[in-house]
Amino acid sequence: MKSKSENPVQQTTTVTDPSSAASIDPIFHLLRILPFSFLRPPRLRLKLPSFSLPSSNLVFALVLLTYFMVVSGIVYDIIVEPPGIGSMQDPYTGAVKPVVFMSGRVNGQYIIEGLSSGFMFVLGGIGIIMLDLALDRNRDRSVKASYATAGITSVVIAYVMSMLFVRIKIPAYLS
Amino acid sequence: MAVTASPPSVTQDLLNSLPKTLKLKTKQQELLLRITTLGLIYILAFITRLFSVLRYESMIHEFDPYFNYRTTLYLTEHGFSEFWNWFDSDSWYPLGRIVGGTLYPGLMLTAAGLYKILHFLRFAVHIREVCVLTAPFFASNTTIVAYFFGKEIWDSGAGIVAAALIAICPGYISRSVAGSYDNEGVAIFALLLTFYLFVKAVNTGSLSWALASAFGYFYMVSAWGGYVFIINLVPLYVLVLLVTGRYSLRLYVAYNCMYVLGMLLAMQIRFVGFQHVQSGEHMASMGVFFLLQVFFFLDWVKHLLGDVKLFQAFLRITVTSAVGVGAVALGVGMASGYISPWTGRFYSLLDPTYAKDHIPIIASVSEHQPTAWSSFMFDFHILLFLFPAGLYFCFKRLTDATIFIVMYGLTSMYFAGVMVRLILVATPAVCLISAIAVSATVKNLTRVVRAKVQPVQGGSGKGTGASKGSSKGVIDNSQPFQKNGAMMLLFGAFYLLSRYAIHCTWVTSEAYSSPSIVLAARGAHGQRVIFDDYREAYFWLRQNTPPDAKVMSWWDYGYQITAMGNRTVIVDNNTWNNTHIATVGRAMSSYEDEAYDIMKSLDVDYVLVVFGGVTGYSSDDINKFLWMVRIGGGVFPVIKEPDYLVNGEYRVDKGAAPKMLNCLMYKLSYYRFGELTTEYGKPPGYDRARGVEIGNKDIKLEYLEEAFTTQNWIVRIYKVKPPKNRW
Repeated sequence: MKSKSENPVQQTTTVTDPSSAASIDPIFHLLRILPFSFLRPPRLRLKLPSFSLPSSNLVFALVLLTYFMVVSGIVYDIIVEPPGIGSMQDPYTGAVKPVVFMSGRVNGQYIIEGLSSGFMFVLGGIGIIMLDLALDRNRDRSVKASYATAGITSVVIAYVMSMLFVRIKIPAYLS
Repeated sequence: MAVTASPPSVTQDLLNSLPKTLKLKTKQQELLLRITTLGLIYILAFITRLFSVLRYESMIHEFDPYFNYRTTLYLTEHGFSEFWNWFDSDSWYPLGRIVGGTLYPGLMLTAAGLYKILHFLRFAVHIREVCVLTAPFFASNTTIVAYFFGKEIWDSGAGIVAAALIAICPGYISRSVAGSYDNEGVAIFALLLTFYLFVKAVNTGSLSWALASAFGYFYMVSAWGGYVFIINLVPLYVLVLLVTGRYSLRLYVAYNCMYVLGMLLAMQIRFVGFQHVQSGEHMASMGVFFLLQVFFFLDWVKHLLGDVKLFQAFLRITVTSAVGVGAVALGVGMASGYISPWTGRFYSLLDPTYAKDHIPIIASVSEHQPTAWSSFMFDFHILLFLFPAGLYFCFKRLTDATIFIVMYGLTSMYFAGVMVRLILVATPAVCLISAIAVSATVKNLTRVVRAKVQPVQGGSGKGTGASKGSSKGVIDNSQPFQKNGAMMLLFGAFYLLSRYAIHCTWVTSEAYSSPSIVLAARGAHGQRVIFDDYREAYFWLRQNTPPDAKVMSWWDYGYQITAMGNRTVIVDNNTWNNTHIATVGRAMSSYEDEAYDIMKSLDVDYVLVVFGGVTGYSSDDINKFLWMVRIGGGVFPVIKEPDYLVNGEYRVDKGAAPKMLNCLMYKLSYYRFGELTTEYGKPPGYDRARGVEIGNKDIKLEYLEEAFTTQNWIVRIYKVKPPKNRW
């Protein structure tokens, strides 16, 4: 019985791997004897996927994203499962008003307030990074100026908003 | 000649007449400035932690420090050998506790050592003063270590900024304030010291630094259970270095020496024992140890073999077989039970939902809750902005040392997000990385400010001057604008750092300086009122009960009762025996007759409860009662939580569940409370902590009688009556 059914498409090849004779891999030699002395492997154009380490910029972007999630209190959100935004009933009209900041304790939050505060922190960090890019020498002036303006505005906005958030959350802050 | 006596020349003469030795060169000026700054930072770190000593008195705070104080007292009175082999029959009656084998001795030995040194120098201080001030002293030492660490990672400017930031950072102050005599006060110093010595060893490849880091690790293991963080972070760091192709002989020497010697030294602590070879939490370090040996072996073979192709094949075989053998060994170890799996405490860090579902004791501790954004803001302030910027600078200049600090920062921030208490471990990393950001930014800005003015025409005869000027990197025609801009930015940075200092001082003063054992409130006219009820009750116990009396209370107060009241307790803060705690919880949640049977079986003479209804104190036993039910119900299914709730709601007023209104805890808390008017305009029996009028005012106790109630009704002690005589 001709074993033609095993490889119907490709023609048989007798070209062996040039390094096979010199290989010291025992498993390779075992496989050469046992199935592949009567089976003919097809000729394929496959390449082993080679992985290269990601660039440091990509890693830094991932790190910033993780930092944003951790500092927004995502673990708190997963475990305690607070509502996205709190609600309060107006005592006189009976209407339901939204409450953004959970008041009463330092270690408690609603999901939205956590995410917005985390965003402010990351914005401040990016502002300082842009300031450093602005002071880099090898760019032309207009790019440096726009980096500087963007950096300064980011830091100022982030700091002012963060202070505002803290004052809303903890009314007795700095008194 | 004209007498042009210009005053500047007088000063010039004065300066010139100073002896040559007093005029400092720039390098010496810089050194003087640096040492003065570090000295001031050292003093600042100490004095900012003294708020509670100045406001109240020099006493030990909280709960856990009382156990540490009691053991330190025992150590100084009886010597090391007695301390190391101490079996304490005063706690966990009738089981007792093997103290020598279940504590981390580093803190006690350090305090006792300081006490002995002071006595040798003829300063006759009491051991309590030494204990109270140990934590601030070690916080000051931490700032010095942070300076050297910053110098190692970046440069000395970053080191100074790191020392200044860590001196006042609220995340660290919260656990190292004067009076907080707890393991973390010493452990953070040991942690940073170990990391610094290890990074120094990796940078220099020297055997002596590696040995020093092993001894630093030994100190850390003796001080705190958080050493598991070190023994997992360092192998992870080594792995990252191997993956990014930074394997070197320096790394090999540093890690091998630290791992082997550190592991052997760590086994000297009885509480740790053989965990380094038996516990799943320590297996990462062993795996990386063997992997490093494989790397060294491959390097050697590569050096021997000339042929590249042969080596590639050899590499493939070796790595596959090494990984295979390692996996098989790990599998066999775990299957046979020799290697224990991760304990619940540390497993809940990787899977935060685990504790909520399976271990209610861990979930009930308020410090173990996950962190909300406001806790981060409270403890870090502007460091939260500087942290990503510092990470950017570290990524810009990747060296072995910066990779380490990045990994330390990221892992510790993740764990800080999982548990509030671990913000403490993240604080040194955040301070160091923020210091890098501050130092690099300020350096950039000052470079712009100090740039030399560039001449307009191309300097023909000023070749070197022009090139030096251009190296400052300023373009001439916009120079004043850039200089002014940089000056303003410097002022902005100064403003931000000063706001940080103000915030830190405010937080320390308001939030982190309260000795939980003494409570303070504002009276009607704004004056401060102090409630010293806890210590009043403990001293009453000490002076008015027989010496062998046994006291039953919830586990929170156990350490304080044994340390200050000097009486035997049933359960205390060590919480090592869940069934025993559940028995106490069951007794507190049962009707009085069932509870009497349980109390008689435990030989209880006195019961102590904490009640905040008169003062509005919200951390009392009625608010903790549901945890007693849950823990008791976890072991004894006869206690069911829904019995105590009404429509899922926890109430103590008229609409409360009948089982709640008649259980032992309710009766003991509200006995005779129905006759008391607590607030103007409210009916008698108005509970100020819950804000409701209580449901059951007519309480009769059959098996207990009231022994003592403190001045503000915060602590109430009841005596268990002996059984009635039989006819």
